[in-house]
Formats: sequence, C-alpha cells, structure tokens
Amino acid sequence: MKKNKTMIVCFLLPALVFFILIFLYPICRTILMSFFKIEGVTDAVSKWSFVGLGNFNKLFHTSLFVTSLWNIFRIWFIGGLAVMALALLFAVILTSGIRFKSFFRAAIYMPNVVSAVALATMWLQYVYNPRFGLFKSFFETIHLDKLAAIQWTDNEHKFWALLIAYCFGMVGYHMLIFASGIERISSEYFEAATLDGAGKVKQFLHVTLPLIKGVFKTNITMWSVTSAGFFVWSQLFSTVTADTKTITPMVYMYMQVFGAGNSVTEHNAGMGAAVGIILSLCVVLVFTLCNQLIRDDDLEF
Amino acid sequence: MKKKLLSLLLCTAMAVSMLTGCGSGGSKDSTTGTTADSGKTTDNTTGKTTDGSDAAGGKTIVYWSMWEATEPQGKVIQEAVNTYMADTGNKVDLQFKGRTGIREGLQPALDAGTGIDLFDEDIDRVNGTWGSYLYDLEALAKDADYEATANAGLIAACREAAGGTLKSIPYQPNIFAFFYNQSLFDQAGITEVPKTWSEFLTVCEKLKAAGITPLTSDDAYINTNFGYHLARLIGNDGVEKVVTEGLWAEEPAVLKVAQAYEELATKGYFSEYVESNVWPNGQNVELALGEVAMYLNGSWLPNEVKDMTGPDFKWGCFSYPALEGGVNGTEASNFGAQVLAINKDSKVAKEAFDIIKYITKGEFDKKLSVDSVGIPADSSNAEWPQMLAAVKPVLDSTTVRYTWAAGAEQNPDMTPVIKENFLKLCGGSITAQQFVDNMEAASK
Repeated sequence: MKKNKTMIVCFLLPALVFFILIFLYPICRTILMSFFKIEGVTDAVSKWSFVGLGNFNKLFHTSLFVTSLWNIFRIWFIGGLAVMALALLFAVILTSGIRFKSFFRAAIYMPNVVSAVALATMWLQYVYNPRFGLFKSFFETIHLDKLAAIQWTDNEHKFWALLIAYCFGMVGYHMLIFASGIERISSEYFEAATLDGAGKVKQFLHVTLPLIKGVFKTNITMWSVTSAGFFVWSQLFSTVTADTKTITPMVYMYMQVFGAGNSVTEHNAGMGAAVGIILSLCVVLVFTLCNQLIRDDDLEF
Repeated sequence: MKKKLLSLLLCTAMAVSMLTGCGSGGSKDSTTGTTADSGKTTDNTTGKTTDGSDAAGGKTIVYWSMWEATEPQGKVIQEAVNTYMADTGNKVDLQFKGRTGIREGLQPALDAGTGIDLFDEDIDRVNGTWGSYLYDLEALAKDADYEATANAGLIAACREAAGGTLKSIPYQPNIFAFFYNQSLFDQAGITEVPKTWSEFLTVCEKLKAAGITPLTSDDAYINTNFGYHLARLIGNDGVEKVVTEGLWAEEPAVLKVAQAYEELATKGYFSEYVESNVWPNGQNVELALGEVAMYLNGSWLPNEVKDMTGPDFKWGCFSYPALEGGVNGTEASNFGAQVLAINKDSKVAKEAFDIIKYITKGEFDKKLSVDSVGIPADSSNAEWPQMLAAVKPVLDSTTVRYTWAAGAEQNPDMTPVIKENFLKLCGGSITAQQFVDNMEAASK
C-alpha cells in the first residue's frame, strides 16, 4: 500500500505541477489583475495601481462595453436557437437512413475546415456585395426587389450579416454532436415505437428528444463557450477599428490590452482582465442554469 | 518477445521525438543568421551570447520586424541585412513578426528579457507605448552625421514623439491626404486641385456633372474625414478634447463638420455604397477601378491597390482643403513613418544603428521606395516612384503634424460610435443635427 502511494504521488506530481502552473496560476493572476490598473500586460506587480472594483464599475458605465455585451447575448441566444434547430434537423435527417449520408455530412461540416478568413471574405466580398452579390442576384431573380436592394454590410444590417455568416459555419459542428448522440440510441426503441403505431414525428418527440437531453447540454455548453470567445469573425467584419454592431467583449478586451485601431490609445490590461472575469462568470452561469434546467440523469438506456 | 520489441520501438520513438522537440530546429518565424556555438552562456530564446558576440568573433544582432517576409518591405530589409552581414561579418537574427506579432508580442518579450536589439513599428506606437524601452540615438546619429541626408520634418516628428530626444529613426514615410484619379479629373475638366472648401465643392460638382461619383471611403478610414475637417477648424488638440471629454454638443465646430458632410451627402457627392463599404471595398473596387474620383487615405494607398489599378493609373494628391475661419490650413496633415528603434539594454547598439543606416540610406532606401511604391527616407534619393510624384509637393509643404485621424480616434470607446454615425451622415441616413445628438447621447 505504501509503495502504491509513492507511485501515485510520482505519477500525479507532474500533472499537478503543470495544472497549477498553466491553469491555476493564470486564473488567480487574472482575477487579481482585474482589481488593478495595469498599463502593459507584462508589467511588474510593483507598477500596478489598485483600483478596487473600479474596472468593473467603469465597464458597466461604458456604453460601448454594454453594447458589446448586448451583441454577444444576441449572438448567443438568436444564433444559438438557429444553429441548434438546424443542427438537430440535419442530424435527424442524416440518421434517418437517407442515401449519400456521408456526402451530406461532409458537405454540411465543410465550413468548419475552411479558414474563417476565407469564409468571411467570401461572405463580405461576394454574398453581401451590393453590386453583384449572391443575395442581390438571388432576390432579383425572384423579384423581391426590396430585399435585393438591402446593403447587407451597412450599419443597420451588419449584425445580421455577421450572424448569418457565423451560424452558417457552426451548424455542421453541432450537427455532428447531435448525430452521434442519436446514433447511440438503440434501434430497438424505434422499432418498438413503430410497432406501437408511432409515426416519425412522435418517435422524434417521445424517443429521440428525451434520450438526447445530455447531448443538448453538451451542445449548449460548447456553443456558450465559443460564443463567449467570439473574436475572429468580429474582427473580420470590421477591420482596423471596431464597429458598434459587431463589437464583442473579446474585441473590447483586445482594445484595452493591446490598443485600438491605428491610434495610440491608453492601455489597461486590468480592464482586459475584468472583461475576462465577466465572460467567465457568464459561461459559469449558463452552465449552472443548463444543469438545473436539463436533467438527463432520470433516464437510463 | 514481441512485447519487448514493441516497447523498445516505442521507447526509441519517444526518445527521438523528445530530442527533436528539445533541439533548436527551424522556428516558424523566418530567421536569418545562426545561433551561437557552445562554450558561452547563451540566451535560450535567441541563442545570442550575453555580450552580443558569437563564437566566430563577430557579433549577433537580433532584429524583430513588423513586416512579413513575403511583403516588398520584408524582402528589401532581408536584402539589406544580408548585405550588412556580408560586409561586416556580424550576424543578424532577423525575425519577421508581422503587424500583430509585434504589437502583441514585443512588450511581453522585452519584459521577459528576450534579447531583442532592434525593432520597428509605427512612429507613435514605438515612441509612445514602448517609449521606456528605447535607446537614446542622439550620440549615434551625431557621430554618423545621420541627419545630413534625412528628412528634417520626420526627424523632428520622431524627437517630438519621444519627448524631445531622438529615440527612433524614420523610414517608409507616409502622409495622409486626398488621393484622386487624375484621368477622372481630366475628364471632368478640372485643372487645379482644390485648396479651400468652396473650391472642393466646385470640384465635386464638376465631377458629378461629368457623371463621376466624386467621393468614397471605407469603414476603416471614414473617421479621418471627420477628424481632418474638425481639426481644420479647431486644431488637433481641439479634436482630442471633443472626443475624450464628450464635448459634442458644446463645441459648435462639430455641428459645422456635420453640416458640411450633410451637404456632400444631400448633393449626391458620396458613393451610394459608402454606408456599406467594408474595407477594402471602397479603395479596391470604387477608387481603383475608376468608379469614384477621390478618397482620403495614406500615401500607402497606390501600393495597396496597384494590382487593381494597373501601372497606367494616374494618381493625384492634395492636402485636405482649408476652411474659412479655421486654425489650420493645407499646411497641416497627418504624416509619419515606420521607425526603427534600439532596445536600451542592447549591447550592440552601434551595430544595430549600422543596420538602420543600411536600411534607411542609399541603395536599400531607394530599393524600398521603388519596390513598395513608398516615399524614400534618404533626402539624397530625390527620385520618387512615379505613382507618388503628386505626393511630393504635399509632403514638402506640410509643416504642422496631426496625429492619426487628427485625434478623432483618441477615445477608443467613442471611435466605433463616430464611425457608425459619420457613415450614416455620409450616406444621407441621418442629418447633421442627428449626428450631434447621437454623439452627445453616446458620450454620456
């Protein structure tokens, strides 16, 4: 037994040391930093000046940061609903025994393998182009001239343009998770349901849905984490300087830590850390709510 | 037996991969020069010896550049560095970090004690954000009589940015002004560039009458139009005061700017797509393909769009027009440069300064100018690239320096709001008064 304990310590120690160094230390330091005003992100602690909750207070009184929170909430909520609905729909269709399943699965997943920069360029320069764009030509062809005349990247429509482009790429990823969850369900349940006279819709509502509750939880958590870190697409839709319709807390954090646009502006890494703390709290909140609302331990199969 | 063989194989594979992992190998940054040989203490990050010398007897200088190795600037700098190495026997560890690489990585690297001797970036960021890391170059510049063939205005700007002393050397100078398509001006019968706002309106009218859209911009640059116009009225400091203190309604000049641009919008002088132009749509499509005549931008523009315009595009340039009752006229513009600076802790400052001379003087300065369609930094390189010929008189007549966007982007919390509302104003979606009201409301 004694020997075993030594072995346990020996094997666990490196992992523990790395965990403390790579995870715990940065977390503690970030929490600490959020209470200070810090000019450079790597400034020595002696250069920090304590501001208490000043950073948080200032953030919630800055309309641009509040706008960024509103944007991220809309991306998370509206985008989440759309992506989950589409992903689930595709997953159900793909697992229903259709032909060319692998082809469709690959096709829907494809945007995930393409670089976000290439995708954003395609959306901005081609799909949303007000002269010859895909949307313009498509709506013109079906004589919806009002829709054809929309300038998708102006201030009024930019948020929706961003959301559509982003969600387009995300559906495949969540579809795969749903599909693997559905495939795990034994076909016996569906056979039994068919014998009992349940149609496809009833089978979906009363067999599939209850049995993939856990997958829903995974998907919502994954979606929340990626939404909280929403950065690249926002940068691609508003290069150089941020935009009121596409700014997210991560972009705001970047502005605070590394400066904004071409101007040399004041940096405050402490404020950046405070943004990080707020985002983490949001994710924890969503995760807790998910755990409370979606209980998947009541069914065993 | 099989198990033993397998475990032996796995062990070998692990040992090999560990050795490979620990070896210096090729980094993903493109690097020139070699690391120091054994026998001396070496800095793990750079492979440089503590006194800057290596086993061969020469010295090693570490240079972090803001360019990419594939850009024209990167290529010429690489050539200059190669020539320097061949001439002196010293070694240069040249690492191309790219814009974000330098912006995000330089300060943490310097704080961590990475041996970086030389680096480059924008004049204001180097002297402002990284000011405390810079070596004072006054003595080195004096010894080399550097200023004899340097652009006096830019050297003065470098001194001003560093608080009165020379801590950086400018290269790739640039100026921010109106760039226009000379062929479209000719087509509209415009023979002279506008110097005042009323002349500017006349030019716009002539262009429009000839069926040419006079103006466009992109979301990335539209704030410079606002900043320049306001700065012409109340100066750069006045603009900064408005944006940082939120004096949108209190400062009457803001409404004047908005009214001027409302007039441009209502008269149809702006492109119909200006509100939805995401950079680089305005410059690459509208201006470069000859649909629109004028665009307020930097002198890097002809280089950026040269693949779209082709070599025959005739560029014109004029300083932002003067306004009636304004504090600044056409003599004031945002001009600056990329600058090279030396780490104050560098042990090879003199050698680093020599590299600066290779890049910013004579042959390589000229090559940099030609290959990147840029302005030469060496005043003895009097010949400018043809595409920038029209810029020379503008830069030569500029005596007052504005900061970026004439200070309009000095408050990062307001920059996106100015952009949103000014684009709407230029597109005719809101009125001048609504612009002022929106800005006032957002700044509270």
